[in-house]
Amino acid sequence: MILQCSYQKGEDNMQLQKMMTYNLRTDFITEIIQMVSGLLLFLFLWVHMLFVSSIWRGAGAFNVLANFMDRWGLLPFTIMFLIIVFALHIGTVLRRMPSQYLEHKVVWKHAKLIHHADTWSWVFQSITGTAIIILAMIHIAIVSFAGINAHLSALRVQSREFLIFYIVLLLLSEYHASVGLYRVFAKWGFVNRHSMKRILNFISLFMIFIGAITLGILYTLGA
Amino acid sequence: MEESGMTLFVVLNKIREEQDPTLRFDFVCRASICGSCGILVNGRPTLACRTLTKDLPDLTTLLPLPVFKLLGDLSIDTGIWFREMSIHTESWVHNDEKFDLTAQEERMDNEIALMIYEAERCIECGCCIGGCMMTNLKPNFIGAAGINRVARFMMDPRDKRSNQKYFEVIGNKEGVFGCIGLLACDDNCPVAVPLRGQITYVRRKMASVGWKMK
Repeated sequence: MILQCSYQKGEDNMQLQKMMTYNLRTDFITEIIQMVSGLLLFLFLWVHMLFVSSIWRGAGAFNVLANFMDRWGLLPFTIMFLIIVFALHIGTVLRRMPSQYLEHKVVWKHAKLIHHADTWSWVFQSITGTAIIILAMIHIAIVSFAGINAHLSALRVQSREFLIFYIVLLLLSEYHASVGLYRVFAKWGFVNRHSMKRILNFISLFMIFIGAITLGILYTLGA
Repeated sequence: MEESGMTLFVVLNKIREEQDPTLRFDFVCRASICGSCGILVNGRPTLACRTLTKDLPDLTTLLPLPVFKLLGDLSIDTGIWFREMSIHTESWVHNDEKFDLTAQEERMDNEIALMIYEAERCIECGCCIGGCMMTNLKPNFIGAAGINRVARFMMDPRDKRSNQKYFEVIGNKEGVFGCIGLLACDDNCPVAVPLRGQITYVRRKMASVGWKMK
């Protein structure tokens, strides 16, 4: 089992293909990339929410920010940043996810069996992550082709499909970010994970609240 | 049939005596010391000998621990797994100094001794391994019991292994960087070994080694 597949101890059973590709730090570096890209995406989510909620102070404030971003070429920069960080995050987290039918079955059976909240949250983490890839791609594509201004956003959420789309994206991304950050703390220590979970739950609910109000304001502006 | 202070261990013995003499399950000490009777009680990994029947619902499902070799009914062989893990992690004090039979034993800091003892409290029941998503998915992952074992030797000043050597053993996806932090191990350990603390200790140590490595 362990011994047969081990190639850490070279003398046991080193094989040419493993010797030629051997890098002691691969798994460590992958882990770091996964964490850092996740933290960057978390940070982006907050900044994004801060910017979008400028609509609280009216369409004017929103457009000033949008024009500012446009003038300094921040929009293409942000999109490039997102594509790179998303790619890194997806590329590194994929190794954790079950890839084969039997593995999927093991995951579901195990999660249903042991009645453990953090195990379930990991299953949901995979699902929400996969959904976010698709939803965020649509969102980024729309924004990059249509540009950003309050009028466009307000009109967009008038359509019921788009409104549901944004509500779902808001919920999924806040959930995913919250669980992801919790997992970083769970893995690396430093804080009591149970109180950290409560704090993160509160923060996520707060962000969802801000997002919901923002959507509401945009909706009334459009109407 | 409920008696005061009745444990699952008693129930299993009664079933074997009165209903099914072929029922297979493991036990030795009936006092959560030997770690033989790890099973899934309503899905949760725990020891049969410390599960009181009065705490259980009317309908209770018992299953053997996953990951380990199944021998029959509730009986598993944790020995194979732990032996391979011990060999893989080289679970012995690595020290090339010549042993002097007549010299006094080297003194150890009480604090370090206590830290080592905390890791050594592990009774190898396998509850952390059976409850872990990763060991269920990837049988090569050494799980909390394995990481805890390595932590024990890392803390031990008598073990002269270099950080690089430890990194080769555990700084990979079969070791501490294979852990995805669900911490069912920490939540289910029947003897409350601080497994999260052990994992974060090893993870941070290995991260600093990996960071500095050329």
